[in-house]
Amino acid sequence: MSGTHDGFDDDAFVEGEFTEGEWDTALLEEELRQAAAILDPVPAGLRQIAVEAYALHDLDARVAELTFDSLVDAIPVRGETDPPRMLTFRAGEVTVDVEVSAEGLMGQVLPPGPARIDVLSGPRAHARIQADDMGRFTGDAPPAGPFALRLRTGEDLVVTEWLRA
Amino acid sequence: MDRGDVGELVLSAADGDAAAWKALVDGLGPLVWSVVRAHGLSDADAHEVYQTAWFRFAQHLGRIREPEKAGSWLASTARHECLKLLRAARRWTPTDDPQLLDRVSEDRTPEESVLDSEEAAAQTERVRRLWQEFEELGERCRQLLRVLIASPPPSYQEVSAALGIAVGSIGPTRQRCLRRLRARLEARGTT
Repeated sequence: MSGTHDGFDDDAFVEGEFTEGEWDTALLEEELRQAAAILDPVPAGLRQIAVEAYALHDLDARVAELTFDSLVDAIPVRGETDPPRMLTFRAGEVTVDVEVSAEGLMGQVLPPGPARIDVLSGPRAHARIQADDMGRFTGDAPPAGPFALRLRTGEDLVVTEWLRA
Repeated sequence: MDRGDVGELVLSAADGDAAAWKALVDGLGPLVWSVVRAHGLSDADAHEVYQTAWFRFAQHLGRIREPEKAGSWLASTARHECLKLLRAARRWTPTDDPQLLDRVSEDRTPEESVLDSEEAAAQTERVRRLWQEFEELGERCRQLLRVLIASPPPSYQEVSAALGIAVGSIGPTRQRCLRRLRARLEARGTT
C-alpha cells in the first residue's frame, strides 16, 4: 500500500499475537460491527419470516433440484425484453417444467400423469392447481417473492427448490 | 450462538427442535443479511434473497451433508441468488444501477432511537460518520468488510463462501481495507 505512516501512535498496546497495527484495526472492525448492528440490522420482519420458515422443513417430501433456469442457462433473445422464465426441476425420475410470466404459471409434470399442486409462497400455500392426465397445468402467477411448488402424484410428494420468480 | 455449536443446532433443528432453529436464525441471519447488503441489491431484492436462502435452508435441513458448515451453505446460497438477480437486472434494465437504490434502512431500530437521545448525540454522530466513510470505500473493501462485520463475526470459510474469494486473501485484504478506512477517518479528524 502507500508508504505513508499509519499514525498508530497511541501507546504501544501490543497484546497476544496482535501487532500494534493489527490491534488497532481489530478495534476499528469491532466499532464498525456495532455501527452495522445499529444502522443496518436484519429487519425485524425478515427475522420473523426466517423463524417461521421452520415450518417448511418437511422430511416426507423429496426436493426437486433446479436443473435449468433460463435466467442463467439460456441465451438472451434479441428484442425480447421480458421473456418468460423457464425452469426445470428434477427429483429422481420426476421432472417438472415450469414457465413463469406475467400472465401466470404453465407447466408439465413428467412422467405425465395427474397431480395436485400447491403453489407455496412462504410457509403457507398460496393456491392449489391440478395437473391433467398429461401432467399439464396452468395457474395464476405466483405473488412476488420466493415460491415453490409442492406436487402430490399418488404416493409421491415432491417439492421444488425455493426460488425467486 | 457460538460458531462451534452450528453443527449441533442444525442436527437438533432437523430433529424437530424449534428453539435450535431460532438460534440458527439469530446466529446466522446477520451473515445472510450482510451478504445481500454486500452485493448492493435494492431493498426489495435484498428481502427476497434473504427469504429464499432461509426457505431453501429449511427445505434442505436434515439433508445437509456437513451441518457444521451451515453458515457457508447459507452464505453461498445467498451469494448465488444475488448474482442471479444482478445478472437479470443487467440483462433487462441495463441503465438501472442497483447500487444507487441501496440505502441504509429508514426504519429506526430501538438502539437507534436510544442513540438519538441528547446525551448520546456525539456518539451517534461518530457512528454515522464511521458508517458514511465505510460506505464510501471502494466496492471490494465495502463488500469484504460488510460481511466481516456481521454479528456474531463469521468464520473466514463463511466469508469465502459469501463472496467467492479465497480464504487466504481475506486476512491481508481485511487489514488493508481497515487501514484505508482508518486513514479516511483521520483525514477528516474523526478518529
